[in-house]
Amino acid sequence: MILLLAPLIAIAAIGGVALLLRIQKGGQRELVGTVVETTGPGSRLPSILYFTGESCTICHTAQRPALRALAAGIDPAITIREIDIAVEPDLARRYRVMSLPTTIVLDGNGQVTDINVGFANGEVLHRQLVDAGMPVAA
Amino acid sequence: MAIVPFDRSVLKVNQAILMSVIVVGYLVGLVYHPVAWALPVLAVMMLAAVASPSLNVPRELYLHWLKPAGIVKPRVRQEDPAPHRFAQLLGGVFLVAASVFVITNILLVAWVLAWIVAALAFLNFAFDICVGCIMYAQLVRIGLLPLSREPAR
Repeated sequence: MILLLAPLIAIAAIGGVALLLRIQKGGQRELVGTVVETTGPGSRLPSILYFTGESCTICHTAQRPALRALAAGIDPAITIREIDIAVEPDLARRYRVMSLPTTIVLDGNGQVTDINVGFANGEVLHRQLVDAGMPVAA
Repeated sequence: MAIVPFDRSVLKVNQAILMSVIVVGYLVGLVYHPVAWALPVLAVMMLAAVASPSLNVPRELYLHWLKPAGIVKPRVRQEDPAPHRFAQLLGGVFLVAASVFVITNILLVAWVLAWIVAALAFLNFAFDICVGCIMYAQLVRIGLLPLSREPAR
């Protein structure tokens, strides 16, 4: 009858792992509304940090083309900074990047307004930039 | 690895088989322990599916029976199938481990491992939460699973 414990132990194990993942993800969400890195006055326009890596296939095949298409349709003064986590691991750590691609939208003050873990399409990013203060053409 | 048309229904059939066999096997196994030998059979099914599409029993079942009969509808997505294959491999490894415990007659551990596989299959089946795929992404991120790089389009 000890076998009756099997599903309970299995579900408890999965629940524990899920809780850890949630805590980890929640840790990154806490960055929304904070300034992680002071970059000076700058252009006072929102910007995007795009975290990528050499081995991230979806970054190269989907996220980068989406960002390029987005960049072609917005004010060129709005920066989209591509960050290879192998080259700038400290920055990835500061923004608690645990998964690639990750795109982080900052407002003109460098305050985090949105975090996208995984692929984010151009439409979503455009809306997030508008929410972060990007002027919308009349 | 490329982003290609990928029919998720094959995965759904695989997950349905896993969940059904494990849950029914477990319930029957409470009174008739030799049913635990279904776990090595599932392990072989999973690993064969990873090894070659022609050895993928759920795929064959889907393509030759369930899809033509209209029982399961195609769900084609544009995505990289590699994470799903990795998730299947992970499920297969768990079931191989469970099989070892069946052979050594430590059935509690065998069924715990099988229930983990069934629960993860359920998460993927019902909510499209692929834990194996998440692990795959993490392993790629830390460089344990190198992938070829495709030129950006």
